Amino acid sequence: VQRRRQVKNSYLETEQFRRRAAIGGLVIALAVLALAFGYFRLQVLLHEEYRLRSESNRIKPLPIVPARGLIYDRNGRLLADNVMAYRLDVVPERIGDIDATLRALQARVAIDPDELRRFRNGYRAGSFRAQTLKLRLDETEVARLAVDRYRLPGVEVVPYLTRRYPYGPLLAHVIGYVGRVDEADREHLRDTPFSVLTHVGKSGLERHYEERLRGEVGFEAVETNVDGRVLRVLRRQPATAGTDLYLSLDVDLQLAMQEAFAGQHGAAVALDPATGEVLAMVSLPSYDPNLFVSGISHRDYAALTGDVARPLFNRNVLGGFAPGSTIKPFMALAGLEYGLRRPEDTVLSTGEFHIPGQARGYRDWRAGGHGVVNLRESLAQSVNTYYYRLAMDLGIERIDAYFGRLGFGQPTGIDLSGEVGGVLPSPEWKARQRGLGDRWYPGETVIAGIGQGYWVTSPLQLAQATAIIAAEGVRRRPHLVRETQAGFGQPRRAEPQPQGVRVVRDPRAIAAVREGMVAVLHGPTGTARSAAAGAPYLIAGKTGTAQRVSRRGSERLDPTRLPYHLRHQALFVGFAPADHPRIALAVVVEHGGSGSRAAAPVARRVFDAWLSRPGMLPPPAPAPAPAATPAADSPTMLPQATGEQR
Amino acid sequence: MGALLELLASLFRRWTDKLDWPLLLALCGVMGMSLLVQASAGGESGLRVVLSQGLRFGLGLGLLLLLSRVTPNRLRSSAPWLFAFTLGLMGLVFVFGTGRSANLWLNLGVFYLQPGELLKLSVPMMVAWYLHDQVLPPGWIALAACAAIVGVPVGLTVLQPDLGTGLLVGATGAFAVYLAGLAWWRIGLILGIGLGSLPVAWPFLLPHQRERILTFLNPESDPLGAGWNIIQSKIAIGSGGPFGKGFGGSSQAHLDFLPEHTTDFAFSVLSEEWGFLGVAITFGLYLFIVLRGLWIASNARDTYSRLLAGALAMAFSVYVLVNGGMVAGFLPVVGVPMPLLSYGGTSAVSLLAGFGVLMSIQAHRKLIGR
Repeated sequence: VQRRRQVKNSYLETEQFRRRAAIGGLVIALAVLALAFGYFRLQVLLHEEYRLRSESNRIKPLPIVPARGLIYDRNGRLLADNVMAYRLDVVPERIGDIDATLRALQARVAIDPDELRRFRNGYRAGSFRAQTLKLRLDETEVARLAVDRYRLPGVEVVPYLTRRYPYGPLLAHVIGYVGRVDEADREHLRDTPFSVLTHVGKSGLERHYEERLRGEVGFEAVETNVDGRVLRVLRRQPATAGTDLYLSLDVDLQLAMQEAFAGQHGAAVALDPATGEVLAMVSLPSYDPNLFVSGISHRDYAALTGDVARPLFNRNVLGGFAPGSTIKPFMALAGLEYGLRRPEDTVLSTGEFHIPGQARGYRDWRAGGHGVVNLRESLAQSVNTYYYRLAMDLGIERIDAYFGRLGFGQPTGIDLSGEVGGVLPSPEWKARQRGLGDRWYPGETVIAGIGQGYWVTSPLQLAQATAIIAAEGVRRRPHLVRETQAGFGQPRRAEPQPQGVRVVRDPRAIAAVREGMVAVLHGPTGTARSAAAGAPYLIAGKTGTAQRVSRRGSERLDPTRLPYHLRHQALFVGFAPADHPRIALAVVVEHGGSGSRAAAPVARRVFDAWLSRPGMLPPPAPAPAPAATPAADSPTMLPQATGEQR
Repeated sequence: MGALLELLASLFRRWTDKLDWPLLLALCGVMGMSLLVQASAGGESGLRVVLSQGLRFGLGLGLLLLLSRVTPNRLRSSAPWLFAFTLGLMGLVFVFGTGRSANLWLNLGVFYLQPGELLKLSVPMMVAWYLHDQVLPPGWIALAACAAIVGVPVGLTVLQPDLGTGLLVGATGAFAVYLAGLAWWRIGLILGIGLGSLPVAWPFLLPHQRERILTFLNPESDPLGAGWNIIQSKIAIGSGGPFGKGFGGSSQAHLDFLPEHTTDFAFSVLSEEWGFLGVAITFGLYLFIVLRGLWIASNARDTYSRLLAGALAMAFSVYVLVNGGMVAGFLPVVGVPMPLLSYGGTSAVSLLAGFGVLMSIQAHRKLIGR
């Protein structure tokens, strides 16, 4: 394959190479010798000079911890703040006897056993790295240590920024909290500039936006004395503060929502259907996130984890609720969109539904049934038979596919960590579970039609699906952060969100379901009509009552013997005003009894709080409303008569 | 029992008969020093650093053993493929690369690969492959072809931007051409043009590269800024004295005065802890490795083997001289690790692979090539 041009003289080439290699080797040897002489000069001839310089080496780079990004609500109210505090650090390399030092410190500063244990666990004798003994020294302690500083070599009082949550429990499940860096965090941050951080986000927004909130670490070159105390700063590369977050959440609405629960436990999410922004989001009971910032004590932590009401459990994203009848509007949508039902089609409810050829009956909630009902009445009165039959007609595959489009059975993608997808029942899902058997029974389809059985949803999923109806069929990702600001003086930037997706295509189907949902609150037979009394705007909604654990077969569960958090749930989903939705929400009241009595009033109070804002309701109708009078607590709102026709 | 030992011994001999023991022992000496330095410089994570570096040495030695058994002919025929492969990887770095200041690494899931390091082997292989069939000493045409083979990968490396690796890859290719017998007057002409065009290249350097050169020229001008590293490194070396501060005694490294003390400045830690004695021993080992390499090259059986072995040996000396000069402030700060001493996986593995090639050339020196 090779072309021969000239003859290669192998012998000459070898000789040539050897000459070149010899010259190269000689040059390299000389260069290495020269370099070695350079080292000889530094290490032997100039050793004394460099030894002195090494010992007096007092200029040292120190990291500057950046200020963590702040968190504001939609009106600019501060929800997570940085405050200056002092901590007590010990440099093991510079102290003599650790026990003596600790005794000396305990004489001046109160150190609780938790802190002492944590310090002892992480203590490495002889380490050059400062180790924190106590966070948040109080003023007296700082003063006492300052006075005795010369007696305590290797002990430093270091100023640092710590986190404060002014609203405490009100926003604990949204903002989350930062906590002290633990072993896992340390491993994760190793070899990055962030290894100097003392706190990282542990839950909620603090965790989800951790990397943007933390900013960039800066450095300063400081001159120190022999003890390592800083004398002056020679050069400084400032730290870059973390990005500030502006939430879509409104603190006033959040407070109103919490108060609407009147001490009951449960969860609620309110969304702006036009954007997917979260307006308010509570999970009750809650806890004080400030406890976690400086390291929660064992007793406090045990109290929180041992509480059967589970205050640390964020019900909105961790879910665990059967949706019950609140899924009926979506079932109705599926029936309309698949062309299996028209709004005027009727079903006879006799009080009990039977799968042909089977003895077992599936009941309506009213003994004797609701008679002949169309779609509107099926929603208004929450007629199970209508939906048992619809579920049979749809079949579980179509139910599964349709509800998947509405966001059930998958995380919504909200900007909070740890969200779970829940369970959207399907034969495939059942086959994947151990111990449930691999056959899908028709009865399971029937009860899936009324939101019982395997269903597990979160309030957030229910609110998202409800917002789809309110937004004319467009699904939008729920989110909390609306804008961000990277540094002081920078413009606020809108946080990019994915485009909404149209998942319901038939506007007539939406209109029909919406009419039924309005009838729930404003119709003469509506299950939640008492909750809408006196409302100056139209509400569309649906109530639901569900057990946390479902009945299987004919076996009955005694509700009073269930653990507290597994008892009856009262649910409500809805939006308002029905003709021009501003807010869509889902409410779950734990062991509330029934959706209409416990959950719908909570929703009503939240609607009132939000819609009483100026500009929320359309301008007054030209003709004065004859029937209703304004609600006593909201005199600015205008009555609308349309909802009260009986 | 005796038979089993005998079997094991014969297996061992069979597998290691292609190794050059003097060279291997010198390499192991340097790697031993490396682990000692890493154990101390790694500080709190010392054990982790030593284990992961040891793992890489093990991997490199395995590759060395493997390559020592591949005949030079086979290595030669694979040269163009290897060259194309490493160039492809360089292209991937532009798209998927990661890194703190420059995108030099490819994330392979299990570990990070720095394709620039592989060029240090594939470029001289390609140059030697080309020159093997040429009549030597090379004329202008052959020189232009070599310039193209070296220029493309060097250009890609410099663009990354990784000036240090780029210069070293270029030097490796240049050594092959020098060893092929390029006439002295041609070498003089090229060097003259190169030096003359330096002022032209100045505006194309990146700010941090310019800053490094200026800092080298006058480190004390900005003792807390760019000159910091050099001054602190010199203090570390000088304070080590004739016999050093002993294992773990590098206060410069442990007090965080010395930057990058497991990687680029690892030799400073060695100098501080083991003094001039340690430095002299290390340099002795390095010089032995280079001279042994050139010896192997001089006895190689064909043009390809000679050029490749010679270029690899000479290039190895450049790493030592550049890093050794840099940390002592004799040369500007260039991101060149001390070979087999600094922490770094791809570098160690590719260097050891190169020595595997040398050993193959030594083992097959007596066979007659085609």
